[in-house]
Parts: sequence; C-alpha cells; structure tokens
Amino acid sequence: MELNGGSVVAMVGKNCVAIASDLRLGNQALTVATNFEKVFPVTDRIYLGLPGLATDVATLRERFRYRVNMYTIKEEREIEPETFAHLVSSTLYEKRFGPYFIEPVVAGLTSPERGSKPFIAATDLIGCLNFAKDFVVCGTASSKLFGVAEGLWEPDLEPDELFETISQTLLNAVDRDAFSGWGAIVHVITPEKVVTRTLKGRMD
Amino acid sequence: MAQQRSFNPYTENGGTILAIAGADFAVVAGDTRQTEGYSIQTRYAPKVFRLTDKAVLAVNGFAADGNMFVKKVKQRLEWYKHAHSKDMPLQSIARLIQTMLYAKRFFPYYVYNILGGIDEQGKGAVYSFDPVGSYERETCRAAGAAQSLVQPFLDNQIYFKNQTGEHPTHLPLPHVLQLVTDSFTGATERHIEVGDGLEMFVILARGRGSQELEGVAGIREVTTSDERERVFVINRDLKRD
Amino acid sequence: MFLTRSEYDRGVNTFSPEGRLFQVEYAIEAIKLGSTTVGIATPQGVVLGVEKRVQSPLLEASSIEKIVEIDRHLGCAMSGLTADARTMIDHARVTSQNHAFTYDEQIKVESVTQAVCDLALRFGESMDNEDAMMSRPFGVALLVAGIDELGPQLFHTDPSGTMMKYEAKAIGSGSEAAQAELQDKYHKQMSLLEAYKLTLSVLKQVMEEKLDQHNVQLAQVTLDGGFEILNETKLREVIDAM
Repeated sequence: MELNGGSVVAMVGKNCVAIASDLRLGNQALTVATNFEKVFPVTDRIYLGLPGLATDVATLRERFRYRVNMYTIKEEREIEPETFAHLVSSTLYEKRFGPYFIEPVVAGLTSPERGSKPFIAATDLIGCLNFAKDFVVCGTASSKLFGVAEGLWEPDLEPDELFETISQTLLNAVDRDAFSGWGAIVHVITPEKVVTRTLKGRMD
Repeated sequence: MAQQRSFNPYTENGGTILAIAGADFAVVAGDTRQTEGYSIQTRYAPKVFRLTDKAVLAVNGFAADGNMFVKKVKQRLEWYKHAHSKDMPLQSIARLIQTMLYAKRFFPYYVYNILGGIDEQGKGAVYSFDPVGSYERETCRAAGAAQSLVQPFLDNQIYFKNQTGEHPTHLPLPHVLQLVTDSFTGATERHIEVGDGLEMFVILARGRGSQELEGVAGIREVTTSDERERVFVINRDLKRD
Repeated sequence: MFLTRSEYDRGVNTFSPEGRLFQVEYAIEAIKLGSTTVGIATPQGVVLGVEKRVQSPLLEASSIEKIVEIDRHLGCAMSGLTADARTMIDHARVTSQNHAFTYDEQIKVESVTQAVCDLALRFGESMDNEDAMMSRPFGVALLVAGIDELGPQLFHTDPSGTMMKYEAKAIGSGSEAAQAELQDKYHKQMSLLEAYKLTLSVLKQVMEEKLDQHNVQLAQVTLDGGFEILNETKLREVIDAM
C-alpha cells in the first residue's frame, strides 16, 4: 500500500458532499507522475476515490464502470450511493484472500426522489464498510488527515465553507506525508452541479 | 529448535505531548493515559514535569525511561545550581538534555522529549528532541502516539501553513489554550491510546500579567521561587473510552 | 616562620602537631621567588601584567609564556614554578570547553577557578593506583582574569587550593611592595588605560632591569574583544604613555 502513495478524504456538508485527493504517483521515494487522478465519477452524483496501489486503481475503476453500467441497464435507473457502497464492498470481498490493495472512498448525494441527501462511506481493502456521518479518510496520510479533519470539521457547512475545510484538511495533512502531495484536486457535489477545483499547494 | 527466550527492554506506553511557544509564555501539555497494547495501565500518569520556574519538560514513549530521565535531569539541575550559584538557563537545559541522551547512544532512552519555557530574553521557547539527542528550537511541536494527527493541525493553526493573507507572528494565550484543548479532544476521538485526562502547564515570563488565566476552570499555581516567572497547571477531563 | 620545623615537614601529607601542612606552606614560599605578576579589575575589563625575567640576552624573550588564554572570555597569568601550571591551565581549558559543549554557554570565572583549585590537594600516595596522584603540591600561583554575566573579575589561586577574589593583586618576588602600591593607587572606576599604566608603574618599581617592551607582557579581558595579549605596537604605545 505504500508503493505508490496517495491519499483521499471525503466530507459531509449541508446538502452537499466533497471529496478530495492528491495527484502524486510514486515508486517508493521516486515521484513518477504529478497528474495521477484517484477520484472518478460513477454517476453525476456519486464520486469514488481509490487510494492505494496504482495498478488496482486502474483495474477497479474499470471493474466498477462495468458493474455500474450493468446495474443501470438492468434496473433502468441510476444506482444510489448507499447501494454503490455495498457494491464496492462485495466486489472487494470477492478477493478476500488475494485482495486489491485499495481502501475506497465513496461520496455522493441520493437521488432527488429520495431527497438529495449527502452520503459518504469508506471500506477497508477487503470490503468492511464504514458509514461515517462526518468524514472519511484513506491513504498514506490517513492519520494526518484524521487529525486535521477532527480539528477543522463541523456539521452543516455550506458548499463554499466545505470546500475551504476539505482543502485545508488535505493540504496540511499531505504536507506532513512524504508519499502524498504534488498537487491536489477537490470535487464539491451539490444537487445542481459538481464543481471541480485544483489546489495550489507545495510541490514537494 | 530449542525454545528461544528473550527479553525486550523496551515497551510503548502510548500517550501524546504537545508544546507551543508564545511571545512571552509557553504551554506544555500531555494527556494522562498510560497504555500497553490494548490495556490501560492507568488513567493518570503525569508526563509533564516542572523543572524550574522557567522550564517544563514533557517526556513520551517508554514511560520507565521517561520517568528515570526526568529524575536524572532534575539531579543535574540541582548540581549545577550548587556549582554555579544560578539556575540553568533554558538553552543550557536543552543542550544538557542532548548530551545526556547521546551518552546512551547505543542503548538509548526510548523517550521523545519536549522542553518548553522562557528563554534568557524573556521570550517563550520550545525545544524538541529525538531519543538520541538531536534537538531544535521551534514554535510548536507535538510528539507521541497522536503526533501524526496533531502536528499537521498545528502547522495549519499556528504556522498558518497553506493559508494566504495576513496573520500574527504570535498568538494570544487563551487562543493557544483552546488550540491545545482542541488538539487533544481530536486526538482522543481518533486514537485509542489518547484520552482520560489532559494536563497543561502554562509558564509566564517575568512581568507578564496573569489576567487571562483568571477564572480558568481547574487552574492552580505551582510557582516556587520569587523569581517572578510563574507556572500554572490546568487539568481537564478527556473521553475515557 | 619556619623555626618550628621538625620531622613533620618532610612527609607531604603529614600534619604537624600545630595542624599545619608544611609542604603546602613551603610551596607557597616557592612562589615568592617567582617573577612579579599583577592583575587589576576595572569596570571595562581586567588587566594582567607580568615581568618576563629574561635571564640572558641570548634568550628569545618571545618564547616566555607567562600569560595564557583559557577561553575567549578567560585568561590567566602565573608566578612560581611555571611548568607546574601547564596541567592546571590544560584542566581549566578542558573544563571550559566541556561546559560550553554541555550547557551551550560560557563558564563563569568563579566556576573555572574553582575547578582549577580542586586539583591542588591531589598529591601524596595513591592506593593501588586508583586515581594516581601528584607526588607534591603545585609550586605556582595563578591570577585568573575573566568576564561573565557578573562583570569583570579577578581571582587568585595558590597551592593550598584557596581561591580569593581581588580587585587588584600582585604575586611573586616583588609582591609585597607591589601590593602596597596597588592598595594606594587603585580605585574602582579606573579605565583600562589607567589600569595599564598602574600595572606598568608597579612592575617598573619592583623590576631590577629597566622596563621595556621586551621584558614585560600585558594582556586584557574585555567584553567585546575577549582575551587579548597586547602586541608589540600596542605594548609600546602603553609604555610610552606611562
């Protein structure tokens, strides 16, 4: 899990969620890329963060694309965030004795029919779900993310405030981690739109 | 193969410490929980000690080494006082700690030390050490089990890292105490080895008023001399789960 | 003084019936044969002066070393069996560096003087050579001059291991007359130059040869400049000013 580095954090706000990650891809101490995205849209309202082994990032992204497409076709509706989280969990547990080295983070809003409610979740590498009400963190800087998030997060933050909070959480945490950093990207998901911003941070 | 017996001279006792230097004060704090593995050995084991009215030492890591090290430092301070008819200045205590730690370079004290207090110019100072004596003066430092949780938070709130705009070089005392408390409540939430209680030592420089500390819950003064630097202790509860 | 000498004055560690250690007292006598040395403390710094006592015109006067540096803020002058002083000076230097290394600060003048005095009574016989001792007491007295947080200070040490703080002190062969002169002329608010002139005048009085820049040596310890032995130019200036 420490071969490539990288970290992801997701937070709940007032009628919104945010998910953010760094952009580093490394080979142990050597930084190989500074544009390695780890957060992908699953639907318009659900985003998936995949910190961990880079090859599994690519593989899981494709596996979930396949499975979500199959779900959409069969169910004739978009998948809900909580359902998707369970999909992630079962996909990982299939590989219980030879796991993917990823600890995924899910962030999204429920469908308008169900109230556009904020939702975040994370799992460990074999699919144990964590439904948090406040924030979830994963990756090489996870302990640092826990510390800053615990200090900065408060409930019912508006989208702009949530953006500032999650950005400061990510930036200050990865600055204390040698394996994360080299750029950062933040997605803020509201019922109307998703705003994606890249952050200016230390490039070391 | 015959049974191997072994004795590991070290163990980890958990806990976290933190020190912040202000313009004319210093705060040194530590939680009071002592653990070994998943067990709590005690809910109240102090990790922060008053050396003089200008210097407070926090020790974290292996408690047996920490407690013994503090005892030995206090002895050296007493010898120095008798030999040189004066209190050891803070930078000298820092240097002494280095030489004491390095003397056991090949069987170290498994302790992370943080020394906080008032320097010879009357300004707040914090010195942090590794187990074999490498040291540096800083404005703030966290050490121990929850170091990785607390230090980035302090980087953001004390050094204003990743924040644009104007910011003060030194923060006021009540604000600093709030940051310390918040750091520990956050660490207690997310780290199992942190909790039970919080003990904060506040050292004020000579001539610095103590009005801001009036009415603070659970505060008591522990100044001994008439040197006019003053030391206070504040105790707080932390979650016990 | 020593009319009461008896069998008790031969054993280095033997007390006499009156409670005296004769060997130590004799060592102090040895210093009265040494070259005159003067030290004066002023608010601006401490001045040290020695009579070099150049025994022969073929002797290279510059090789006579009776004033030495201990640390940047400390120096000392000696009188008596000056070779004995080498271990004492080395101990003072090592003590000073150890202190700076361990405590990241300059050692106090009194502390380094005390460290030197702690060597004085380590003479006699040792049992099974645990901590082998010197065979006899030191035969040299030192004037330690330095500056610390308490200001400029001058200390005198002798073979008994006693240290005393002085405002002005003379030791060696001309010390009696010199000390009387110092008592007469010294005042607390002297400038460094006045102290130099007084030192030279005192040395001039007790020296047999005519005083010039080759048979005396002057040094000072000040806050800004630290310990400094006056070079030829400065020495000549001060002599001319006298």
